[in-house]
Amino acid sequence: MKRSWSVLVVSSLVATAIAVLIVLLPRPAQAFGDVGAFDPRVLLVGGVNGAARTSAPARWSWELVQRTSAPGRLKPTQVRADDPSVVDAPFLFLSGENGLAPFTPQEISGLRKFFALGGILLVDDAGVSDVGAPSAFGRSAREQIARVLPDTSPIALGPDHVVFKTFYLLRRAEGRVAGPKTLEAIVRGGQVQVLFSSHDIGGALARGATGAWENPVVPGGDVQRERAIRLAVNIAMYTLCSNYKDDQVHAPFLMRRRALPGGP
Amino acid sequence: MHERLAVNGDLPLWAVVLACALALVSVGVLLAVELRRRERGGPAIVVTGLLALAALLAAIARPVRIAARESVIGAKVIVLADMSRSMALPQNGKSPRADVRDTAVSEIAKKAKEARLHVLGFGDGPAVPIATGAGAAKPGEASSSRASTAERSDLTTALRALAASAEERPQAIVVVSDGRLDDPGEDAAKEQLQALGRDLKVPIHTVATTVNAPADASVRRVSAAGAAVAHVPLPLKVDVGCAGGLSCDELTVTARELREDGAPALLATGLAHLKDGKGTVDLAVTLDRAGARILEISITPPSGDTIPENDRRLLTFNVARERVRVLHVAGRPTSDVRALRQWLKSDASVDVVAFFILRTQSDTPNARQEDLSLIPFPVDELFTEHLPSFDAVVLQDFDAQPYGLERHLPQLARYVKAGGGLIMVGGQNSFVAGGYANTPLAEVLPVTLDGSPGATAADVANVIPAWTDDGRAAPLLSPLHDIVGEELPQMPGSNVLGDVRPGGLVLWAHPTRTTKSGSPMPILAIGDQGDGRSIALGVDGAWQLEFSQLGARTSGRGYGALWDGLLGWLMRDPRFEPGQLELVSPCVADAPTKLRVRLPSATAQKDMTVEVRRLDKQDVPPIRVEVPKRSAGSSSAVEISLPPLAAGGYTARLKLGAGPTTRRDFACESGGDEWADSRPDRERMRALASATGGSFHDATDDLTLPLPKPAVVSAERHVVPLAPSWAWSLAAAIALGLHWFARRRSGLS
Repeated sequence: MKRSWSVLVVSSLVATAIAVLIVLLPRPAQAFGDVGAFDPRVLLVGGVNGAARTSAPARWSWELVQRTSAPGRLKPTQVRADDPSVVDAPFLFLSGENGLAPFTPQEISGLRKFFALGGILLVDDAGVSDVGAPSAFGRSAREQIARVLPDTSPIALGPDHVVFKTFYLLRRAEGRVAGPKTLEAIVRGGQVQVLFSSHDIGGALARGATGAWENPVVPGGDVQRERAIRLAVNIAMYTLCSNYKDDQVHAPFLMRRRALPGGP
Repeated sequence: MHERLAVNGDLPLWAVVLACALALVSVGVLLAVELRRRERGGPAIVVTGLLALAALLAAIARPVRIAARESVIGAKVIVLADMSRSMALPQNGKSPRADVRDTAVSEIAKKAKEARLHVLGFGDGPAVPIATGAGAAKPGEASSSRASTAERSDLTTALRALAASAEERPQAIVVVSDGRLDDPGEDAAKEQLQALGRDLKVPIHTVATTVNAPADASVRRVSAAGAAVAHVPLPLKVDVGCAGGLSCDELTVTARELREDGAPALLATGLAHLKDGKGTVDLAVTLDRAGARILEISITPPSGDTIPENDRRLLTFNVARERVRVLHVAGRPTSDVRALRQWLKSDASVDVVAFFILRTQSDTPNARQEDLSLIPFPVDELFTEHLPSFDAVVLQDFDAQPYGLERHLPQLARYVKAGGGLIMVGGQNSFVAGGYANTPLAEVLPVTLDGSPGATAADVANVIPAWTDDGRAAPLLSPLHDIVGEELPQMPGSNVLGDVRPGGLVLWAHPTRTTKSGSPMPILAIGDQGDGRSIALGVDGAWQLEFSQLGARTSGRGYGALWDGLLGWLMRDPRFEPGQLELVSPCVADAPTKLRVRLPSATAQKDMTVEVRRLDKQDVPPIRVEVPKRSAGSSSAVEISLPPLAAGGYTARLKLGAGPTTRRDFACESGGDEWADSRPDRERMRALASATGGSFHDATDDLTLPLPKPAVVSAERHVVPLAPSWAWSLAAAIALGLHWFARRRSGLS
């Protein structure tokens, strides 16, 4: 009986000490809000009223937060191209299935301000065919973006581009559909301004409230979906880290990993 | 008044000579021919003939009487006395060479009484008059006008200045020196020496003050191959020597950098093997910090060395920076990290090495390691081996504890105190939340951190930082203020920071939150830490100077302006310094020194002091000098006098109010270049005299020099004819008539 009292007292003391320590330890700063976190802001422009895959932006942030140290907005925002707040963050996400209406001068002006500050826009073709043929959205988006950024034309980004190694080492671009192996991009001064995806990345990310994936991924199924999620994570990391993985210090590591048998 | 007779001034010399010659011939003929005649009247003919000749000669010469006031002017002789600091070296271990020089000058003056002596001193540039005679100092006595203080002994410049002068040319030059001249150099050819006298067209006599070299081992010369660049090895060639009978086959040469934060740092060492009293060693030194850096090059002297002052040289190297090397470490990728990285990468003058933590232990990337592009964070390698190679370290939202940085914090603190730059940028893992409170690194931040249990790490309420008066006046924020004015974007919370440390300055403050002392809580603060500097930026929303409506209105230039100022201030970019310090002239040990202080007009009425501290003897109390306040509109430069300083390395800091300081490192040497080689050079003096037609003497010789004779100058002159011209002609006619009569009487025709 005496022994059990002793054990109880000691246990209580230890528990109290631990509690006191927990209380007295410097409290970590709460997040300074999530203003600096990755925000896949949905761009409302040319008749687009929201993300083509409604759950995709939030899922994108969730995957980013789960897999990396990067903070992400779990409740992404939306912004109109002609709204002054279009310049409040460095990333915009434009997706759709149908053709875009011509951008208004105000929308063009807003987007030009955004690009002038160094912002990045991802244009994700949700209406792309299973073999990767662009939909009316994809074609019209290119036309309208050309009005915003005249004298520029998209170029193909292959696996050597930093966006394919910002977190995961990827050999090609994939989304809900396998589509072309490359992404397309408008690049100025070495910095990507617009990324064009003909893969419906949002379609691979979208997940319903029940936890079920909303769209089947063709032709690779879940393995392809995982690679699509990885591409989305890489695009988010490119937004937050820029060309960090192009630094010379990473080069020998990445070359070795690329050379591994069965490696990415 | 002197009087004398002369022929008429209108008569050319040749006419006088011709007339005299004809007269002499005529006299000869008269005497030889007429006196041999035995006829009657011969003597009368001779007498009247001589009379007629004299009268004719007088009629030609028409003599005049000249009355003149005349004076004798001695030849102008310039004595050039060596005023360089080498003349302060002891002569035979006793009095300085300057005493021998002064005695020799006095002796020359005594012996050359007929000459007009002008005694000038030569050294750094054109020769200047020095006191002689009664006004001169006696040997061994200090005199400002005859002190041997010149940093160089440049005879060539002094002679060229005399040749170019519009004043009366000298007729001779006398040089009094030990012969250890900077110009002409030791290896000057005979043609070069001849050229020195050619412009003046006069002989140069030389007087050597010193014959024997003192027993001395010294660092004779240090030369660098190219400019000093931070982090780049700089080859140094060090010439050493032994003279005066000292026995030294080899000398150990050491290069050290004088630092404010501790003992001098050994940079290189080498062994010089001496042959014929001379040796050379090559050293490679690497200076990690840009700006004025003081290097001490020293030898271990052998016993019997009589001049210890030249056993070490203190040299100021202005170290340039090829590129600013920045280590950017971020705890997690955010928009703030993105903005800073893009700014650092966009600046070609910045070489950035970045490490971002992309994955923590709690993250699940759902992939094999080889499918990830992640590399290990080389914390040990970075913060030990490579740390000195960086000019600045940026810790952005980085938690010290999980990544092993804690054990390197003492090293990082030492790095800052040794001259490195540190910027801690806010975020949820910075400052108190990052575990930096109560660590050595906290001691080098410009603000205090609350390390008490339960300390609040962050204030998560949105905040718009408020400009402080110091922030508005700070040159480093001036470009930002010019762009955004008083407006700053709203930022998502701030780290909780304590009061600013002494010597620090708060540039932005929290508009409502205060520190424990009741002061507004710092958000952006700067401060000096030993030899280095640090900045605390307690927010992670500075990127909104770029991405915000304010950013859109200002084309995002505010963000670049902020970081340009922060990094520039950290690197002591003169644009962002509150003032500037420079030496008016090289510092000479035990002599007054002047510092020029350049200040912005806004600081005219601020309290300012200059603090001068020894670098190599840190226990010596600092010297503080008040900078006089200026009236509005007066010059932005102020000169202040420092008391005589002992030989050594110094750092001068300009303190404006309570804020960080502007600093300038400099060295004071006893002998400098002039004492580096203490051997006299009689042979150069002898060669100079020989090449220019002068004579060579030792100071102990009889100093009667072969100087030009004086000139006679008439000041007043009166010319009066003895008789009018017609009278001379009449007299000649009468004399000729008498002679003709005498000849006729004797039967001659």
